[in-house]
Amino acid sequence: MALSPIGGVGGIGAAQLAQAYRQQALAASSASDAATRAAAAGSVDAGTAARGADFASAIGQGLQQVQNLDQSAATKAVQAATGNLTDIHDYVITATKAQTATELTTTVRNKAMDAFNEIMRMPL
Amino acid sequence: MSAVFEALGISGSGMEVHQAWMDAISDNLANVNTVRPTSQAAFQARYVVAAGVEDGSTGLGVTETGIALGDPNGRLVYSPQHPMADSKGYVRLPDIDLGEQMSTMIMAQRGYQANISNVDRVKETYQAAIQMGRG
Repeated sequence: MALSPIGGVGGIGAAQLAQAYRQQALAASSASDAATRAAAAGSVDAGTAARGADFASAIGQGLQQVQNLDQSAATKAVQAATGNLTDIHDYVITATKAQTATELTTTVRNKAMDAFNEIMRMPL
Repeated sequence: MSAVFEALGISGSGMEVHQAWMDAISDNLANVNTVRPTSQAAFQARYVVAAGVEDGSTGLGVTETGIALGDPNGRLVYSPQHPMADSKGYVRLPDIDLGEQMSTMIMAQRGYQANISNVDRVKETYQAAIQMGRG
């Protein structure tokens, strides 16, 4: 995983650089076989695409959940306004869930943007 | 729904049952002086029956499984002036002890409040976890 940001420049690397990547990948206990193979082959397009899709789908799922929570909170708000709400705490807990989920998603998104900007700042 | 916010839902179930308990006690208190003729059953006190929700793990809170009813015989009170009194001058009152109901109400109220406190604690914990990522 630690190799993913620099993996993108593997294509222009010399054989020596590829060798170093391979050693790093083998040494790192968290490095997957795919990363090792990608580093050895000097091409990481497939791996990067898979990871990108993973993150996108994770964020997508997160947003979907947040939207569901927001929707149920909005439903409770309407029930509270129209006098159809049966339990006060029901609304408050649903609203708390929606609020916390939104905060979590924005935090994750901000962290992802930070990481992206960090990579963009890297001198090439 | 989502396992991330399970603790909030569990506390919510606790609040729901305690609210039902408070409702039942309120009804008992409201009917503490409900008089019936001796030919009918007395007003029966309501007691909430609660049960834990098991999931084979940390549990999923509590649920109200039903309402148990008190003694239909109630207690006979000699009140010959009462319009509902029978030939011997008795009427039937519910077998509800006011003091007991009031102290039970305190338990229900404190239980409800404890669940509210727990929601606040859990929310603070989640937000602390989110703050961790903002540093």
